[in-house]
Amino acid sequence: MKEFKYTIKDELGIHARPAGLLVKLVTPFQSKITVDTGTKAADAKKIMALMGAGAKKGTVVTCRAEGPDEAEAVTALKKFFEENL
Amino acid sequence: MGLFDAFKKKDIVISSPMKGRCVSIKSVSDPTFGDEILGKGVAIVPEDGKVYAPADGVITTIFPTGHAVGMTTNDGVELLIHVGLDTVALKGEGFRIIGKDEQKVKKGDLLIEADLEKIKGAGYDVITPVVVCNTDEYSEILGHTDTEVNAGDELLNIKK
Repeated sequence: MKEFKYTIKDELGIHARPAGLLVKLVTPFQSKITVDTGTKAADAKKIMALMGAGAKKGTVVTCRAEGPDEAEAVTALKKFFEENL
Repeated sequence: MGLFDAFKKKDIVISSPMKGRCVSIKSVSDPTFGDEILGKGVAIVPEDGKVYAPADGVITTIFPTGHAVGMTTNDGVELLIHVGLDTVALKGEGFRIIGKDEQKVKKGDLLIEADLEKIKGAGYDVITPVVVCNTDEYSEILGHTDTEVNAGDELLNIKK
């Protein structure tokens, strides 16, 4: 299992657009990927779960990947969060 | 075909959450919706700002800004109703939230009231995509397009 923490900087948090892009990014990975806001852990391959996790500006999220391609998944996720959120 | 088969293959019908004109999702200028990144569906050009539950189910999430609501119907369809484009940036201005997270709703329950004139006045497009977020779980999602609908009229027909 690999994980990293990230503090959301985007004013609007994880709303529909970033959630959609995130799902698109992580779906090809075999690993189980979660975005944990501390109150809710969302399956990053499910749009509704991601939007419902309530990640706002300032929320510290823990992104986890567990599976055969977890290293690649975490690298891709990190890049996505830094560029988009 | 026996009665059981007919029941098994019954399509899921999602009604329109708003009164307006329904158009193809592909005509939505925001690629998040137009390119179906969030799933298949249709868009409504609303004439009235009231957003009603389009089926019986549970509210998964109402954004604190009131610009969008996600619900899971009793049939398991994950629906997102997104009032206007980029309206997250309004931070709640022009939206009144009536429903709340995890609330059980019946088709026709009022969820959000949007002040369409105010939103348009702020420079936003009020077109409202209604999309099935778990599109992958269904074989076909057909939407009514280029027709006027009232809230509660059939909008989407989903085949398992």
